[in-house]
Amino acid sequence: MATRTTRGQVRPSLVPPPVAGVVSLLVPGLGQALARQLQRGLLLLGSLATSVGLFAWRVNLLAPQESGLIDILTKALTRRPLFVAPTLVGLVALWLWIAWDAYRQAQPGKRGGISVFVLALLLFFSLGWQISEINLYKLATELSDAWGPLSRVVWPWQAAVTRDTETVSAGADILSPCDDQPPPPPPEEVPGEPYVVADPTCGDLATRDENLAEVPGTELTVVGRGFAPNTETYIWWVDPIGNEFRMRRGGEYITLQTDDQGAFQIEVTMPYRLIPPSSEGRQIHRIEARQTSTVGALKPSEVLLHNIEKMVETIVLGMMATIFGIVFAIPVSFLAARNLMSGSPVTMGVYYFVRSILNIVRSIEPLIWAILAITVVGLGPFAGIIALTVHSIAALGKLYSEAIENIDPGPIEAVQATGATRLQTIMYAVVPQMIPPFVSFSIYRWDINVRMSTVIGLVGGGGIGFLLTQYIRLLDYRSAGIAVWFIAITVATLDYVSSDIRQRFI
Amino acid sequence: MLEVKNLTKVYDDGTVALRDVSFEVDDGEFLIIIGLSGSGKSTLLRCINRLIEPTEGQIVWDGVDITEVEPGQLRQIRRQIGMIFQHFNLVRRSNVITNVLSGRLGYVNPWRSLLHRFPAEDREMARAALERVGIADQAYKRADELSGGQQQRVGIARALMQQPRMILADEPVASLDPVLAHSILEYLEQLNQEESITILCSLHYLDLVQRYATRVIGLRGGQIVYRGTREEIRAMTDDEFKEIYGKEAVRVSVGPKGELV
Repeated sequence: MATRTTRGQVRPSLVPPPVAGVVSLLVPGLGQALARQLQRGLLLLGSLATSVGLFAWRVNLLAPQESGLIDILTKALTRRPLFVAPTLVGLVALWLWIAWDAYRQAQPGKRGGISVFVLALLLFFSLGWQISEINLYKLATELSDAWGPLSRVVWPWQAAVTRDTETVSAGADILSPCDDQPPPPPPEEVPGEPYVVADPTCGDLATRDENLAEVPGTELTVVGRGFAPNTETYIWWVDPIGNEFRMRRGGEYITLQTDDQGAFQIEVTMPYRLIPPSSEGRQIHRIEARQTSTVGALKPSEVLLHNIEKMVETIVLGMMATIFGIVFAIPVSFLAARNLMSGSPVTMGVYYFVRSILNIVRSIEPLIWAILAITVVGLGPFAGIIALTVHSIAALGKLYSEAIENIDPGPIEAVQATGATRLQTIMYAVVPQMIPPFVSFSIYRWDINVRMSTVIGLVGGGGIGFLLTQYIRLLDYRSAGIAVWFIAITVATLDYVSSDIRQRFI
Repeated sequence: MLEVKNLTKVYDDGTVALRDVSFEVDDGEFLIIIGLSGSGKSTLLRCINRLIEPTEGQIVWDGVDITEVEPGQLRQIRRQIGMIFQHFNLVRRSNVITNVLSGRLGYVNPWRSLLHRFPAEDREMARAALERVGIADQAYKRADELSGGQQQRVGIARALMQQPRMILADEPVASLDPVLAHSILEYLEQLNQEESITILCSLHYLDLVQRYATRVIGLRGGQIVYRGTREEIRAMTDDEFKEIYGKEAVRVSVGPKGELV
């Protein structure tokens, strides 16, 4: 910086200030170049050209049907006035400012100044806002719609427990259509047992006439007695081939409440049912009233058990990957330690080769390694272990090798001087220096691996992430919430434990 | 009797650290090597126990040419030569007693020692060595918790464990306060006088050299430029000292109580 200033003072502008200004007005940046500020000129020309290009692209997208510069601009202006107008003004302002900047730069003793770059940055910010489709209005107005699923994620524990259920039901047979034989008799009433009687006991199902207009079925009066009082009761229809479904009225499920005596009465319309033409004999349907009640103590739900199972799988996955990573990283790290490999050109070649491989492997994210591993071993935790192991070897190999490079040669010399053998020297002078960083890095990596293993399932690498994506795709936000909570708890615990252990070792 | 004959060391990068150095040290001498940093003092000391391989020349100790011996025999020789370093070279994370016991590695069964198992008499010896340098109470502290002076005493205790017949001390007081320099050198002098251990020590302070040396050699540019007896060094003037150390050398004195004079 200092040298440039000095040079600028030594070498004045090639042209007088007004000329530089006018030249820059015609070709932005050229005036600065003539004022011996080539870099500044190029930078300003580049900024202006880029923002004009980006602006043209966005404006074109806003007016895809139009042709002609004026038409396109007008259309874009009406669609997004808040973006198009200020940006347009900003572009023109930048152009003029560049000209004025050239005028200033050409004056002796006046150099630098960053205001023109601030303007360019503002323009880029405005364009960036548009390109990345930031929409704060949408965020503000639609956040409330997301509250339903979000609240279930935030507090999902209703789905964590369940009770066994018991269904009480009673039903009456319905003949369809009526024929000349007597319809099925009403069931016998046993006191204390639930009991349902329908009237009439035969009738026609809903159907459609030749114009496809709906012909409603026969109205039935259903009376029930002996049910649990004041309890929600559902009406089910069972057709002769055993299909059952909840009955609806006006599109809604029929739900009724029994009275104090456990009795109810309701009008239902016989539903629309297609009975296969191959069916023979009289068509006896059945209408049933069912009450479902929970019995017994709370117990963990299947979702909770699944989540626990997968969480254990996740932690084990991370652990196995760490163990494999450590085992393979130790030998690799010796090959990647400069102080051990600097002996000859051959070992130096090995060093550079191993270092570059480690850097490449490390720069590829574990998620991508998982996708690659899945093509080899298929979906599941093994693919995740391979992915995390590969990444751990590269990361730990680098960290370990740096630990080896940082070893203090003094103690090695001192132990050698006592007449110790090579093995004794390693045990007494090298290993004690290596253990703390090795332990620290390994635990740190375990921490990272468990963290990564929670998301490696997103691409099919096993662990809880797999379950999480499934629940989200099924819109089962409560179950997904449990998975999210498990991940958060595990990661936080591990974070604490690993930093605690590392502190003890350093 | 140690005889160094025509010792030359040329490093791989072409640096000539020692050039045709020859001298003799009788048993029980306190030989002090003086010279600027880079004059070859450290290289010379390390050539004697072959931590650095000499390029040419012989080092004959009691009739055995150290430069010629096989690795097994070299370890036998090394264990009789204690070494003390400017930066102490302790394993900082190991405790004091382990550092001291590592001085015994040349004597114990190599396989047993890998499990950090030492004979009871060695443990007793380590305790006595720490007692002797006055830090027995620090035995189970980590080495890096000790002060510089204490760490150097651990270094001396480690050398004592070798039951050495010779001690090489590479600027043993250069990283310590001048106040501590005398106390460390007094330990060495005590060993020299009571157990007639030969001591080769490199030093910077003329006062310390005059106080402790029985003989002195001066190195400059890898060559011996000065040889002096006890009497000659006592009579040495600042001008002669500057002859070895160069014109810019300034005399810094340390009195026997450690005070700067």
